[in-house]
Amino acid sequence: MVSISNPYKPNIAALRKITTENDVNDIKTFEVVFEDPDLARSFRYTPGQFGMISYFGAGECPIGIASSPTDEGFLEFTIKKVGTVTTALHNCSEGDRIGIRGPYGNGWPIEAMEGRNVVLVGGGFAFTTLRSLAKYILHDDNRGRFGDLTVIYGARNPGELIYKYDLEDWEQRDDINLIVTVDKGDSGWTGKEGYIPTILKEAAPSSKNAIAAICGPPIMIRFSIPVMTELGFSPSDILLSLEMRMKCGIGKCGRCNVGSKFVCLDGPVFTHEELQGLPKEY
Amino acid sequence: MKIKIVDKKEVPALIDRLIERYRVFAPVDAGKYARLMEVASGSEACLELQNPKLSSKEILFPQTEIILRIKKGEEGLETEEPSENDKDWVLFGVHPCDAKGLVLTDKFFASGDYKDKPYMDKRGKTSIVGLACNHPRATCFCASVGGSPFGKEGIDILLVDLGEEYLIEILTERGERMIEGVHGLRDASDDDMARAEKMSEEAEKALQTDLPIEGLSERLEGMFEDPLWDKVHLKCVGCGVCSYLCPTCWCFDIIDEETSTGVERIRLWDTCQFTQFTLQGSGFNPRPSGKERMRQRTMHKFCYFPKEYGVLACTGCGRCVRECPVNQDIRETIKEIMSV
Ligand SMILES: Cc1cc2nc3c(=O)[nH]c(=O)nc-3n(C[C@H](O)[C@H](O)[C@H](O)COP(=O)(O)OP(=O)(O)OC[C@H]3O[C@@H](n4cnc5c(N)ncnc54)[C@H](O)[C@@H]3O)c2cc1C
Ligand code: SF4
Ligand code: SF4
Ligand code: FES
Repeated sequence: MVSISNPYKPNIAALRKITTENDVNDIKTFEVVFEDPDLARSFRYTPGQFGMISYFGAGECPIGIASSPTDEGFLEFTIKKVGTVTTALHNCSEGDRIGIRGPYGNGWPIEAMEGRNVVLVGGGFAFTTLRSLAKYILHDDNRGRFGDLTVIYGARNPGELIYKYDLEDWEQRDDINLIVTVDKGDSGWTGKEGYIPTILKEAAPSSKNAIAAICGPPIMIRFSIPVMTELGFSPSDILLSLEMRMKCGIGKCGRCNVGSKFVCLDGPVFTHEELQGLPKEY
Repeated sequence: MKIKIVDKKEVPALIDRLIERYRVFAPVDAGKYARLMEVASGSEACLELQNPKLSSKEILFPQTEIILRIKKGEEGLETEEPSENDKDWVLFGVHPCDAKGLVLTDKFFASGDYKDKPYMDKRGKTSIVGLACNHPRATCFCASVGGSPFGKEGIDILLVDLGEEYLIEILTERGERMIEGVHGLRDASDDDMARAEKMSEEAEKALQTDLPIEGLSERLEGMFEDPLWDKVHLKCVGCGVCSYLCPTCWCFDIIDEETSTGVERIRLWDTCQFTQFTLQGSGFNPRPSGKERMRQRTMHKFCYFPKEYGVLACTGCGRCVRECPVNQDIRETIKEIMSV
């Protein structure tokens, strides 16, 4: 009998650093390192892929990889506390051990983005894998292979903006056009105010030789797509990442399908054109 | 192909010989119905009962199974896979519809880059002794979905009940190995074979065959938004019985349970008929009502799976028809789809 490897077996990893991202303190970024040094060195992934994260005793859940493949030796996951597993993870301390399976899913289509202007539109904490992609593009080894980079990112209020350290860093660079907005500012806020679709319209990134990736709450996506279309982006040049409930991550537990596509295998990234060909069940 | 005959009274001894070399699972009398269970002796097996309440799925893809043990020790965490380095297995007395159910399960669990190891490990060491179905029930419709009460798909040895004896058709090498060293068999005569042939014809005749099914998958492709879905689910109470009993429903959940030494990671049956199945962390549910859930189950069997694997994911075993508490009948749903 041929022996096959167990796809349900996670690799053990240690939480090296835990960073609180927002004022409400329900979003944290976990920097993790595989216990097996060979795996820590050899683990490869594409921005937009995800891992199945275990807190043993609480269970497993899918989380997008927030670090960039250019970050060597560690991974990052930015996690919002919503239920059993995410709460258990939030209760962890640095040094605690978790399990990771993956990387799963298709990720952002890097090759299709090369040589083109890239527009990233993110709202709320769903910004995680766009952050991975932005960091990847901005890395010295890769920057030359992409055209202009525009990042439009928004949160409900200034306290909810995540990755403030990256945003500050990106502000200083001249090879990225960063636009940050909040739905509603506070007394100290000097930046933009307004919902993403409005800001997007105002910023009007050119669709010429451009490809866009959008991540955020369903309502933001729903109102952003018509704006993108108006700007001239064709359905095949608008990328979206779907979030479904997932248990296995490998196309077996049967719960993440949209029509005959499994979001965990065939997605989570789809073009708007692909989604138009699928049942509206996401 | 070899064809033998064994007297019915010799069957317990035949199973006993198998038990010397295999773990044998056979139908046993579980009160009002039969259930496939491991037997310690041939006399426990009961082949005269109707097809077990649950299909062979419950042996190879059990309702709950430990897929991983995590030990919390001094030096941290260690993961350990449960391994069953025991004898090979035999499922004895499996009806052709359920053997076909396993063939469909194989396609799914062995597909893609990630093979389902917990299932494949068990399946790889399992041989199937089938039992031809002489008396299909009113709820059976295997012949309408590409099967047959005397079907041989997925079967290593097929038994045919001839009244006082069984005809034994050895179909594969695995079957040959199983039967090696089993005494009390004699060669089947032309008359034996003619009798088996006649039973097969009679069983076919007893089956419902008027179910329209031609072009069902293609038709469903364009029917996601059809108003039909607003009605067909209305009496369903979402109990999930249809899926739990169905040989081709494989959805599962994975949960952790703490033990004194660590954690057991367990997988258990789940179903698209439950509300929570697709409920997301944000509170959004892409299948919020019975409509979407019944549509999903129907689409999976008759549209999505056929599109991927070229065959319907229904064996016509009739379990979902027989056991539904509100008499939801998948055959009626098919007829409605075909008449749109
Ligand atoms: C590809 C992908 C990438 C993702 N990336 C990220 C990411 O980067 N960061 C991130 O934070 N999240 C991400 N998610 C979402 C994340 O997977 C979910 O938030 C996570 O699965 C929640 O798991 P949990 O065990 O904490 O919640 P669960 O306990 O499973 O709870 C889920 C929901 O069910 C509700 N619920 C729980 N128990 C009950 C009950 N008894 N009765 C009724 N309702 C109940 C909860 O309120 C919650 O809304 C991603 C999802 C996908 C599919
Ligand atoms: S067995 Fe009947 S009531 Fe229960 S979920 Fe299935 S169709 Fe609905
Ligand atoms: S859908 Fe019903 S008839 Fe078809 S295989 Fe499943 S339980 Fe049997
Ligand atoms: S998460 Fe299990 S099938 Fe996609």
